[in-house]
Amino acid sequence: MQDGTSAQKEIALRADGRNRRTDSARLGRLNILVGALSLPLFVGLWELASRSGAVNMVLFPPPTVVAAAVLEWIRSGQFLGDLSASLLRVTTGFIVGGALGILFGILTGQFPVVSSLLSPLFHILRPIPPIAFVPIVILWFGLSEAGKLFLVVWGVFFTVWLSTHIGVQKVDRGLIRAALMLGTPRRQMLQEIVLLGALPYIVVGLRTAVSISFYTLVAAELAGTFAGIVYRIEIAQQNMQTGQVMGGLAALGLISFVADRLFAALAERTVWWR
Amino acid sequence: MKLALASAPTAVESVRRQPAIQVSNLSIVFDTKRGQTIAVDRVSFDVAPGEFVCIVGPSGCGKSTVLNTIAGLEVPFEGDILVEGSPVHGPRPDVGMVFQQPHLFPWKSVRRNIAHGPRMHGKSKREANVIADDLIAMIGLKRFADAYPNTLSGGMQQRVAIARALANQPRVLLMDEPFGALDAQTRAVMQDNLLELRDRINATIVFVTHDIDEAIVLADRVLIMSAGPGRILRDVAVKLPRPRSSSIMVEPTYLSLKKDCLDVIRAEGLRAFNQSDAS
Repeated sequence: MQDGTSAQKEIALRADGRNRRTDSARLGRLNILVGALSLPLFVGLWELASRSGAVNMVLFPPPTVVAAAVLEWIRSGQFLGDLSASLLRVTTGFIVGGALGILFGILTGQFPVVSSLLSPLFHILRPIPPIAFVPIVILWFGLSEAGKLFLVVWGVFFTVWLSTHIGVQKVDRGLIRAALMLGTPRRQMLQEIVLLGALPYIVVGLRTAVSISFYTLVAAELAGTFAGIVYRIEIAQQNMQTGQVMGGLAALGLISFVADRLFAALAERTVWWR
Repeated sequence: MKLALASAPTAVESVRRQPAIQVSNLSIVFDTKRGQTIAVDRVSFDVAPGEFVCIVGPSGCGKSTVLNTIAGLEVPFEGDILVEGSPVHGPRPDVGMVFQQPHLFPWKSVRRNIAHGPRMHGKSKREANVIADDLIAMIGLKRFADAYPNTLSGGMQQRVAIARALANQPRVLLMDEPFGALDAQTRAVMQDNLLELRDRINATIVFVTHDIDEAIVLADRVLIMSAGPGRILRDVAVKLPRPRSSSIMVEPTYLSLKKDCLDVIRAEGLRAFNQSDAS
């Protein structure tokens, strides 16, 4: 009985194997086709839904209206100002927060005393969503750029700190022993082994921090400012310019997508031995 | 201390005759959750300059621990270890080590991995690269000089690890089951390579393995260790002709030697088994 079922299974498996190659090729082509259709299909349906009268066109404008709003935004010159204001906040915050995160990650990862001193504090502060700091940031910094920077730095710092800390701790002990046996002085161990060993972790942390810096940018600009992509979205909302709101969202999505892709490409070069 | 006080000619004489490695009454105790475990119990042995000694024993018998201690990597121990006449306090340039895993620096090419030791000892980049290229030729990996470790097979990686350890021209080379992670075919090739390499370098070698065949093929002397606590059961001289290769494993002299070793190991295994049964 058992033999019979196993033989049947084997036959079924073999038949499966024969068809699998042609099947997977066909499926692959189908997937590419569907993938290419995804966006146009979505935009088309959106256009139809908006214009069908089933929804309020003012609240749910079709893509053509959104596109027109975006064009107007660019033509007026405001877009460039908003874009540069937002990008400046994100990049400065990312660089400052990232640098501090790497520095403290190395310190806590490498020196147990520093870790005992700082890690409990960091672990308590880390889970607080950066957005929750908006009220107190307004009290401390008013509407100044320093407050915006603070929020982005705060968001980026803990992610980068934790991944660097873990990276430093996870450096292969075997590599350190090998380096010791080859005569690497202990004071050179950081630059020769630890930093490079932790690099893959640091890069992952930095990449996660890219999207976090955009989250915190939203909070920072909603807290009150005078230029920026999210600021423009908020203003447009107050004026019932729904097309502009959606255009702003699309711009924000696009920028953060491009930033992530750029960083991924950069990361591949940073960890050059993979 | 006595050595330093002795008159000059005698000192030179004794330096010439002194063993490359002297281990006397080495004991190593580990702190575990259940209290202290004696990993190594009063182990003593000498290794003559240029000698190839294999330490065999079951896993957990402390053979790797002994090796790490000679390397200066295992800190707390009792007893005395002298390498080239001077006590071991930590890793030192005249002692090289090859581990079970290659532990190559993944971010360095083969050449730069091998050049690492000389660089750390103050050689210029050019000098270090010359040393590295010589060794790369010796291990037959010229085509892979600029390759990164993750593109090499396990056997090739371990060859690079050996070359990297040799780059500092150590007087003593310690090898901790270096071929343990390789498949049988690769291991046989690596053993032959090591025998060839050994004729060209002028180092004393201590090689740890749990494979009795590997030990007899390679060594001038085999130290058989017992487990829990680690002790040396037998010191077996391997008087097989050199140059050797792994093909020696079918010779009658080889086989009788292997039988002697296996008898010792079997008797010890039975004793340990009965003991654990009784308790």
